[in-house]
Amino acid sequence: MAQSRAYIWFIAPALILMFVILLIPILIAGGLSMTDYSLGNSGASFVGWENYERIFSRSQYEKMFGATFRYVFVVVPLTVGLGLGAALLIHSLGRFGDLYKTIYFLPVMAALIAMAIVWEFAFHPTIGIVNATLERGCGTILEHWNWYAQGCERTFPLWLNDRDYAIWTVSFIGVWQGFGFNMVLYLAGLASIPPSLYDAAEMDGATRGWDRFQLVTWPLLGPTTVFVVTISFIRSFQVFDMVEAFYPQGGGPSKSVYVMMFAIYEKGIQQNLMGIGAAITVIFLGFVMILTLIQRWLVERRTHYV
Amino acid sequence: MSDITLSGTSADAKATGFRFNTRAAVTHAVLILGALLVLLPFYTMLSLSLKAPHEIMQQTGGFWGAQEPFRDDFCVKLGNAVEDCMVNPIIYNYTTAFEKAPLLRYLLNGLVVTVSIFVIQVIVALPCAYALAKLRFWGREAVFALVLFCLLIPVHAIALPLYIMLAKVGLTNSYAALIIPWTISVFGIFLMRQFFMTVPDDLVDAARMDGMSEYAIIWQVMLPTAIPALMAFGIFSVVAHWNDYFWPRIVITGNRDLFTPPLGLREFKGDADGDNFGPMMATACIIVTPLIVCFLLAQRRFIEGITLSGMK
Repeated sequence: MAQSRAYIWFIAPALILMFVILLIPILIAGGLSMTDYSLGNSGASFVGWENYERIFSRSQYEKMFGATFRYVFVVVPLTVGLGLGAALLIHSLGRFGDLYKTIYFLPVMAALIAMAIVWEFAFHPTIGIVNATLERGCGTILEHWNWYAQGCERTFPLWLNDRDYAIWTVSFIGVWQGFGFNMVLYLAGLASIPPSLYDAAEMDGATRGWDRFQLVTWPLLGPTTVFVVTISFIRSFQVFDMVEAFYPQGGGPSKSVYVMMFAIYEKGIQQNLMGIGAAITVIFLGFVMILTLIQRWLVERRTHYV
Repeated sequence: MSDITLSGTSADAKATGFRFNTRAAVTHAVLILGALLVLLPFYTMLSLSLKAPHEIMQQTGGFWGAQEPFRDDFCVKLGNAVEDCMVNPIIYNYTTAFEKAPLLRYLLNGLVVTVSIFVIQVIVALPCAYALAKLRFWGREAVFALVLFCLLIPVHAIALPLYIMLAKVGLTNSYAALIIPWTISVFGIFLMRQFFMTVPDDLVDAARMDGMSEYAIIWQVMLPTAIPALMAFGIFSVVAHWNDYFWPRIVITGNRDLFTPPLGLREFKGDADGDNFGPMMATACIIVTPLIVCFLLAQRRFIEGITLSGMK
């Protein structure tokens, strides 16, 4: 009977913090998104849906969605694909697998802001290693490639400062940083597949590696894939560090890398336009929650199925 | 991609032996190529932190640089004799990293913040997880449902309202601002609850028979059983907050004494001209090294910890 009251003290701190730190801020964001509030002003006036209308009509925010979705739809498929590919290759190796695993996981551990600064240097148009390496290829067979020949003739792209390349370059760094994480999740998924299933598949005539992959590996990795895809979406939606480090003002060449988290930071913190920042926050939360709910729905459907 | 199982395990291993070897060779080739790409920035970072400015600018000197002393213009500007201002690149880069900004202070801040966050997360989450797993009370399902809902919310996304709340109570630019939003880890609660569910009820009942209070049960019975899960969670938490840049960037404005390592590095970048690439890369190396070293020493635990969110 001693436990009858104790639970209150166990639950209360967590419950209070959950409300104060997680739930109330969502309500605040929802409320503020309907106002023109600025920090330091005594009051704010209600503006209704004006902030949202602005977000869905102005070209600046069109660029914001464009940059965010470009980044997300490059980084998610590539990190998932490369993560799965690396996991399958490493899983097929006996001895040296762990070494590759360690190496591929390093970028996940390293502070992204530090690595972003290094990549910025590597992509530097004149003293960076990327263009220096490309220039070495000039005069070789690579020049048959139109893009390459043009680069040799004039200059190679400015990468991070090039309107046409910036978002893809940032995405590349995102892939570089993120695929090791997915690889490890897939390796855990692969390890949990009972070997007897492969024997059974072989008896059923699936002797080629590809057949076994289709028949056993891929279906059994289903739950892992659902999870990996969701978490990749959520992680890549939150891209910020690199963008702020590369483009402290304005979100890149002609706003081509103006991603949502940076927009929230710029509007809310830098320009103190809390209303519009809160509206972007609400939209952002909407995206993330819908994605997670889809994931949960898929997982539940699957567990009924299996 | 097709080589998903060890081909060598099949009965006709000898017949396929040659094919297996070429396959393994191709696999290794692909993986080595990938490894080189992954390691390239680490190599660049380390190499640049060792070289003199002119070697960085002209891309000479290989990995180590020539390590010839060069003239420190800043030192000359201060009125010292040129002979006294000749410095060795490695020493120059790493001492400048520590002298130009209070890097030691930043590292200490990082340590204080990450450790405080983890300790508070455990103090809050463990009792709650225990109650959700082992106590029966009215509203338990509702509380657990709330935990599941809160798992949906990325704290970074609600940074703006959190910032406003902290500003209203005058807490921006303080350790508290760096720590408070992370004190509640619903993920930690969820994880520990799942773990406690696997602990047999008999253990708890026996402890009660011995006259232990519920508090004592949590910290003396449940905590020791949960050490492996807690360590994994600790790694997850420490890595996330040591490397976090977004939140410190928002709440710490200007007060350098509170900078965390990522902020310190970012500030360095802000005023780095060409000459300062070396010291900046040295700073980057110093910030990245603690976690990388820990990771290399305890890889299995780290990978477990970081990917914990995948073990649901």
